[in-house]
Amino acid sequence: MTRRWFWPSFGLPGVVWLVLLFLVPTYAVLAVAFGTVDPIFQTPVPIWNPLHWEFGAMETVLRGLAPGHTFWIVFVRTLGYVTIALAGCLLIGYPVAYYLARHAGRMKGALLVLLIIPFWVSYLMRMLAWVGLLLPDGLVNRVLLDLGVISHPHLWLAGQASSVIFALIYGYVPYLILPLFAVLDRIDRSVLEAGRDLGGSPFRTFLHVTLPLSKNGILAASVLIALPMFGDYYTNDVISNSPRTSMIGNQINLFFQGGAEQAVGASLVIVLSLFLAVLMSYYLWITVRASAETKDSLL
Amino acid sequence: MKTGAVDLVQLRKDFGEVTAVDGIEIAIEAGEFFSLLGPSGCGKTTTLRLIAGFERPTGGKILLDGVDMAATPPHRRKVNTVFQSYALFPHLDVFDNVAFGLRRAHVKKKETRERVTRVLEAVQLGDYGKRKPAQLSGGQQQRVALARALVLEPAVLLLDEPLGALDAKLRKALQIELKSIQERFGITFVYVTHDQEEALTMSDRIAVMSGGHVEQIATPQTMYDEPETVFVADFLGVSNLMQVTAEGPEGVACRVKVGAFELAAGCGELGVRGETHVVIRPERVVIEPYEAAGANRVPGMVERVVYNGASEQLVIRLATGTVVQALSVRDGTPEKWTQGTAVQAYLPAEALRVLPPSPTGSAAPATPEEAPEADEAIEVGAG
Amino acid sequence: MRRVRDWFANPWGQPRFLGAFTWLYMIWSIVPVIIAIVFSFNNGRSRSVWQGFSTRWWWGDPYNSVLHDPVLRGALEQSLRLAGFDMLIAVPIGVGLALGLTRWRGYGNRPVNYLMLFPLVTPEIVMAVSLLLVFDHLYHVPFGTEAQILGQVTFSISYVVIIIRGRLLSIGPEYEEAARDLGASQLGAFRLVLLPLLAPAIFASLIVVFALSIDDFVVTQYMSANQQTQTVPILIYQTVRGTATPALNAVASVMVFATLSTVALAYLVYRWAARSQPAGHSALGDIAGVT
Repeated sequence: MTRRWFWPSFGLPGVVWLVLLFLVPTYAVLAVAFGTVDPIFQTPVPIWNPLHWEFGAMETVLRGLAPGHTFWIVFVRTLGYVTIALAGCLLIGYPVAYYLARHAGRMKGALLVLLIIPFWVSYLMRMLAWVGLLLPDGLVNRVLLDLGVISHPHLWLAGQASSVIFALIYGYVPYLILPLFAVLDRIDRSVLEAGRDLGGSPFRTFLHVTLPLSKNGILAASVLIALPMFGDYYTNDVISNSPRTSMIGNQINLFFQGGAEQAVGASLVIVLSLFLAVLMSYYLWITVRASAETKDSLL
Repeated sequence: MKTGAVDLVQLRKDFGEVTAVDGIEIAIEAGEFFSLLGPSGCGKTTTLRLIAGFERPTGGKILLDGVDMAATPPHRRKVNTVFQSYALFPHLDVFDNVAFGLRRAHVKKKETRERVTRVLEAVQLGDYGKRKPAQLSGGQQQRVALARALVLEPAVLLLDEPLGALDAKLRKALQIELKSIQERFGITFVYVTHDQEEALTMSDRIAVMSGGHVEQIATPQTMYDEPETVFVADFLGVSNLMQVTAEGPEGVACRVKVGAFELAAGCGELGVRGETHVVIRPERVVIEPYEAAGANRVPGMVERVVYNGASEQLVIRLATGTVVQALSVRDGTPEKWTQGTAVQAYLPAEALRVLPPSPTGSAAPATPEEAPEADEAIEVGAG
Repeated sequence: MRRVRDWFANPWGQPRFLGAFTWLYMIWSIVPVIIAIVFSFNNGRSRSVWQGFSTRWWWGDPYNSVLHDPVLRGALEQSLRLAGFDMLIAVPIGVGLALGLTRWRGYGNRPVNYLMLFPLVTPEIVMAVSLLLVFDHLYHVPFGTEAQILGQVTFSISYVVIIIRGRLLSIGPEYEEAARDLGASQLGAFRLVLLPLLAPAIFASLIVVFALSIDDFVVTQYMSANQQTQTVPILIYQTVRGTATPALNAVASVMVFATLSTVALAYLVYRWAARSQPAGHSALGDIAGVT
């Protein structure tokens, strides 16, 4: 008979690792956020017992989140950037994914390869590429000057929200296209043909058949890139490096450059996590459900 | 002394709330070709996996030559399996596939080579040793799977619908081959199938299963001629099942009433009274001209004539409303009955079998030949 | 006017429009990177103005080229070092976890499954902060290479599990059952039958972990200690806005070549290894399917 502990023992190292290095650290965030500060060394002291938790740092954060205050402004700004960037990614990514899934034909393989390439190029390398182009004497300014669109070099890299959003779109759109493509590719051709057969023009078939069928995929892919986007700080640091365009990630990052501020930073992380928890749970729920129904899914 | 006798004693297997095998008792003799026959979900595959050792019984015992197998893991039982999908190791060639079990048993290289070569010859794949499974046809893969199990000379060979994935002609050829191999090697075969024709052709004995229990165990002839339950009667071939009211024995027969007609049923459960079923095989039904008279005759009309190549199926709608099928071999005499003819269906008493009343709820499974055609006829008539 | 209206009414249905759009996207997506790579061969110090072709930043310049500058070399080495350890540790753990999750139907399955999925949806900064805090206050692990490895492995495991699990599901339990039926023990069946069948997927996950590690930024930065433990992405982050020379482009290009060539190699090896395997999967699909 099967020795019942044969397979679980394979999984034990992984479980132990994740518990020690993922679960426990999550608790550590709570312990520091609701901890205190050593009066002498001015270093943060975590409190592990929930009964002794102190909420001073959290209060600071919550007060800062009141409309008009620092964190609120940053939060709203982040929300705005992410929403616009997400919309941009969808507007660009969906047609590309659609073309690849439905029309590519012979070129499909080649296009897929081209699609996958940015995936494997480091995010920061791609930012590096645009910094080079957006420098005051870079190619973008020179082309615009030559075309007469602008009269003197524009400072794209100095605290411009548009640059940051543009960079976010550029950076994240490949992560959106692949899952979208996977979903659209999976739509049975015969379902679409049935739509056409029953009298729909290509456009209406798209509107009434393809779009609804890919709805879940759109939502899932959007959540998939919105989550990391909310925590992004490096895009802003590299493209703009100005407090005018700082995102939540930047705020959090500030508090971990060393010193007593860790409790505030940890509290901010908790607030961000709770906000994202809604998005995360939704994504996990539909993925687990999808992989239970069919063997293929996003995960 | 022959080895390979399998005894299932009150064998039970539950999967959570579902009982797949419900306390069955089967005694398989050494060297026998034994089939487990039934529709999908009846528990036959689970029973096979219990014998193989891939499932642990919830209750009961499995005895191999009298020895309880409960504590023995699959790789130590003298039992081998041919899987439905063959499960040939794709990364090994044919030779290594067949030699796999011998190597696990630490058989010496020379002996391994001899045995593998011999068994590959026996299944007519002598030259295929170096090929990979992906390069073989379905029939060839099946034979490799068979060779792989046979080379270990097990006491019992378990076969899980091994011919299911093959086309009809290949299946027939392999049925003959399997049977001859079994007779030659003398190994007990436990063969799982849902194809009643296959079971009837190949088996020494059959166990018909339904819903986790055994309906009947008998030789093919007995199973076909003397079904003991409604399920068995209907599962094997056409049964011409008729609902009747039994009125008890009269002489050597049982008097049954079908609608307005009284018939004498000469075999089966003659002592039954009350609501029950009778069956008669289509080849025993005799179609006579309408004017014919005598006992056990019911008038009817030829609804359809179905041409089956070697034989002809006559679908007769009786005056009682039921539909019976009669089979006539096409022996060269010109066809007498055409659609729409009024005839008499003679159901000889010695072929008319009374079945025990089925417990409530256990109705006969829907037979594709009878019910839909009757419905179609009604629709056509009404439309 | 009518033509414009027709076009407008049916913009999606025109493959030609969509096709052009797609190719434009591809160009927009890849060309900036190519330009950056080209500029690594710039003759002057500028990363934005072309001053002629030169290999000085790659190996020519005795102080500032990738070959000679200890900072650049160090970043490259650190990137590769972390990637190596990440692969070595994360893949076996991930394979084991995938096996445990697929084969264990007991009540622990669900929570462990969620535990495995969480790192995939957690923003990196949240994970990085949590690791920083736990190393600082609880485990007392000093920042540096060890901490970086620990962090990278933590998020890599889940990717390995996804890849291996997908392959396990399509392999199915039958081959091992056949092996055990023929006399192999559970361990023997695993070793002789399952592992060979799993080999292409294990290889694919090695490559994926390599690429994930090479390109990782947030966790690696949070776990770093000083310039010695800098990786190429960290280096880019620190110096890209400053007076970096095209040597930065060069060292970044090395990373790009390394990743792309390993992925290409993996694809070819995968295809070759999988040719005798049961059908029903595409190498491209597997590699692309890792989101």
